[in-house]
Amino acid sequence: MSYRVALIGAGTMGGVHATQWSTIREADVVGVLDPRGEASRALGPHYSDWESLLSQAKPDIVDICVPTPFHREYVERAAAAGMAIFVEKPLARTMADCDAIVELVTRTGVPFMAGHVLRYFPEYLSTKRLVDDGAVGTPAAVRTSRMAGFPHQGIDDWYADPVKSGGVVLDMIIHDFDWLLWTFGPVSRVFACGLYGNAKYVGELDYALVTLRFASGALGHVTGSWAHPGGFRTTLEVAGDGGLIEHDSARTAPLTASLRSNEGGAGGVAVPESPMAMGEDPYFLEIQAFVKALDAGEQPPVTVHDARNAARVALAALESIETGKVVSLS
Amino acid sequence: MTTATTTKPLIGMLTFPHIHALSCAEVLAQDQNATFAGVADSFGGRGYSVAHLCRVRSFPTERELLESGLDGVIVTSETIHHRKFVQAAAEAGVKAILCESPLATTLEDGRAMVDACEKRGVRLAMAFPCRYSPALLRLREQVRSGAVGEVLAIRGTNHGVVPGGWFIDPSLSGGGAVLDRTVHVADLNRWILGKEATEVYAEIGNGFNHKDWEDTGFLTIRYGAGVFATLDTSWSRPKNYPTWGDVTLQVVGTGGVLDLDMYSQGLAHYSVRDSRISWPHWGSNVYAGLISDFLNVVAGGTSPNLATGEDGLRALDVAMAAYRSAGLQSPVSVNRV
Repeated sequence: MSYRVALIGAGTMGGVHATQWSTIREADVVGVLDPRGEASRALGPHYSDWESLLSQAKPDIVDICVPTPFHREYVERAAAAGMAIFVEKPLARTMADCDAIVELVTRTGVPFMAGHVLRYFPEYLSTKRLVDDGAVGTPAAVRTSRMAGFPHQGIDDWYADPVKSGGVVLDMIIHDFDWLLWTFGPVSRVFACGLYGNAKYVGELDYALVTLRFASGALGHVTGSWAHPGGFRTTLEVAGDGGLIEHDSARTAPLTASLRSNEGGAGGVAVPESPMAMGEDPYFLEIQAFVKALDAGEQPPVTVHDARNAARVALAALESIETGKVVSLS
Repeated sequence: MTTATTTKPLIGMLTFPHIHALSCAEVLAQDQNATFAGVADSFGGRGYSVAHLCRVRSFPTERELLESGLDGVIVTSETIHHRKFVQAAAEAGVKAILCESPLATTLEDGRAMVDACEKRGVRLAMAFPCRYSPALLRLREQVRSGAVGEVLAIRGTNHGVVPGGWFIDPSLSGGGAVLDRTVHVADLNRWILGKEATEVYAEIGNGFNHKDWEDTGFLTIRYGAGVFATLDTSWSRPKNYPTWGDVTLQVVGTGGVLDLDMYSQGLAHYSVRDSRISWPHWGSNVYAGLISDFLNVVAGGTSPNLATGEDGLRALDVAMAAYRSAGLQSPVSVNRV
């Protein structure tokens, strides 16, 4: 069967998804909805309004890559049209929107998957498998971190507006929260400190340190940084009563280019790369998992409930940052 | 640092239940600026073996060592005995005392020790050896010079392999991983920032050893409204880890980030003979700087980097607040005693 895909949003993630859709034989991008004509046309046929997209492109899958506050609106439109829905993380900007999406998806039964792509990153998937196999015994203390420079690449610089993006906590370390929930089960308490809500650093810096208590009794700590000018880096550590797993992206890049031609230009810095074989790209794997589930008539693997739970932890962390209090999750 | 010129001071050490005690004793034995007068440990043969190793006199009791006319004393006993030995040393009329960390098992004991020394004009110093890490000193210098702008946050870890012996007997140690580890990084943060801790939140656990003492501690520490920090004090390294643990700090400021891994100066050694991988450390011995500064204070000089009893109390405040917070499942204000 062949799928007709409508891409909503031609920004960074829209571009990443379009690349993956183009490698999936049984799917075609039949329309790209975005006010930016040039950016849209680079990814597929351009549409500037939903009605034309719906009536002319006749999509059966909608892939939502617009800024977070617009997720709910497009999920509602797509569900009303009975389409299968893939939505980028985070699920939505508020719990009210998250719960409305959960209710809608559950009620209509439309196929739905959220883009918690970390589950398809081989270092995180391998760790999850090892933990499930008992490689660290019973997990007791887990630490992850995700560190980058401040993102200014969004449309209208929307990441820089915490009211829209929720800052590093809702936009970036929600990846960690989803992986942690998937691997270690539900979280019962959240306490966090961060720069969210601090008017002095809006649009320039964000940094958050989040402490989690899992229902299992294990402890978690997540670092989120948009304050690292030195490039993207992630670390991961799972310690249990039977062992320890450590990962640091800075120590596992198999290829580093230190080129004389970069001197003076791109700063002459060494650029590390960690490529994966064709067909093992995490963004390909998540789209492939979505399509396979549609083929099989099953619900795709990252459910609306999973996405809601990850958003719940992230929004609890933002609440803790703002109030200075512990947030209990039942 | 100013140096006073006198004859070599006489230094004694008591007692030796501590792995750090041996590091101190070895450094002291080799230091040209002091005379290692002797050791005492009324428990079993511990004093004799250290005396033999360092070729110094072993006194049969702590009292006899203290009454032998010492200029300075290093207290490396179980934490529960710190108060007793520090007070006895102060009463014996030594000029200065270096006390292992943590200062005491309770804030009340810690306060009493600081007061007893102050009353008699005895200098009480804390063994916070991380202050003598050249990498840490460089970090502090960079922070102080404004290299990372205004400091906003510090993420710290002080992981370790679970210790044995009296360390995991709270009747002697006063607690588990939180007390053992919090004081070091709490002192470093305060020393780097020049700010006092105001609020602590802590989640603690025992998921590694399943005993009645905590082996896991995740602290959040605020330094006023402007700076927050977290600290992982967990004994979370497995027993076959290549080294004893770590001290790391990520200092985030308006102008950038400093990442410190204090013990990264090591080799990787893959031993066929021992079927083991280890990371032998070749970085500077932090105890050398600590002992050298202490001897200078004994001789009447000043050593600005040497932590005082008050510094030890401030670090203890944070650890005690962590226990209160964990009990209440809520952030708590730091009580200053």
